[in-house]
Amino acid sequence: MAADDTKALARALRRRDPEVLDRLIEQYQYRLFRYLLYISGDRETAEDLFQETWIRVLDRGRQYDSKSRFETWLFAIARHLVIDLQRRKKPQSLDALIYPGQESAIDLTAKNSPSALDLITNRELEMSIQESLGRLPAIHREVLVLRFQEDMALEEIATLLGAPVSTVKSRLYRGLEGLRDLLERGKA
Amino acid sequence: MNEDIHARAERLILKNHVEGIRPQEREWLDRHLEACSDCDRLASATERTLRSFCTVSVPVPPSLASRAQLRMYLRMEELQTRERGGWIFWISCALSWVLGIASAPYVWRGFEWAGRHIGVPDVVWEMGFGLWWALPALVATGILLIEKLGNGPQETR
Repeated sequence: MAADDTKALARALRRRDPEVLDRLIEQYQYRLFRYLLYISGDRETAEDLFQETWIRVLDRGRQYDSKSRFETWLFAIARHLVIDLQRRKKPQSLDALIYPGQESAIDLTAKNSPSALDLITNRELEMSIQESLGRLPAIHREVLVLRFQEDMALEEIATLLGAPVSTVKSRLYRGLEGLRDLLERGKA
Repeated sequence: MNEDIHARAERLILKNHVEGIRPQEREWLDRHLEACSDCDRLASATERTLRSFCTVSVPVPPSLASRAQLRMYLRMEELQTRERGGWIFWISCALSWVLGIASAPYVWRGFEWAGRHIGVPDVVWEMGFGLWWALPALVATGILLIEKLGNGPQETR
């Protein structure tokens, strides 16, 4: 998105332009949902937080200053919502999000998948990735999706996370190494 | 080949994907991978992992976007109603302050008369006047604070 586009977008968000907001929801639905699913680890939670994220975008559109890319700002909102949810669930510790020890597969598949063939052909791979991802800490899953699926720059991820680039790198190294080991172990 | 060389190769395999490697590093790594089958397997496994990870698609619930859009419209209406209420509140505040300024000399005399009539020290009725004067501002501040707290923490960007 060019600088002019982000400025125009910031203006549209300030005046709560319904057409622009509709378009944004359509445009980012897949990426936002995927991000939420990876960091929350649960489809229903991701669906709820998806709705909440857009409500926040509407409420706080004035805060988008167009200096960062829209998706960075959008994902930061989504991220805060996940953290807030984790705090409410386990008020004793924010580490629950950081090192959840989830130990269960992330359900990436839809409840009513439209294509049975897709399910069959991708089943093995999906199962294996789901299980492996479920064993990775959320902070590692998060940076993996941002770097390799969202194709975000390290600096952008650092801005989104509010963490130094070195931390982002270290999480990426550990995440990638962990995922590789888990997937390879699953094959063995 | 010693352990350090394999550790370096392993580090470079990951670095290549995470942040990219310099041409000299790539050259060294390629040479090493040709000679070391273990590290070559590791490099292939890393490639495979990323390919698998990137090709996994997440099915999006069919009505996800439309539900979000509907909720947003409802929220928009709510915000518009609230903003209209906000305007009425600020107009009332402004009117109250204008009236306060215009009536201040008379109210001061009223407080003075009442204070003397009751027989309280001057400081008491002067404080009473101050409170009367500051009351609209205090109420407005209270309402703003409550609204601010209700909105929760702000996103930084």
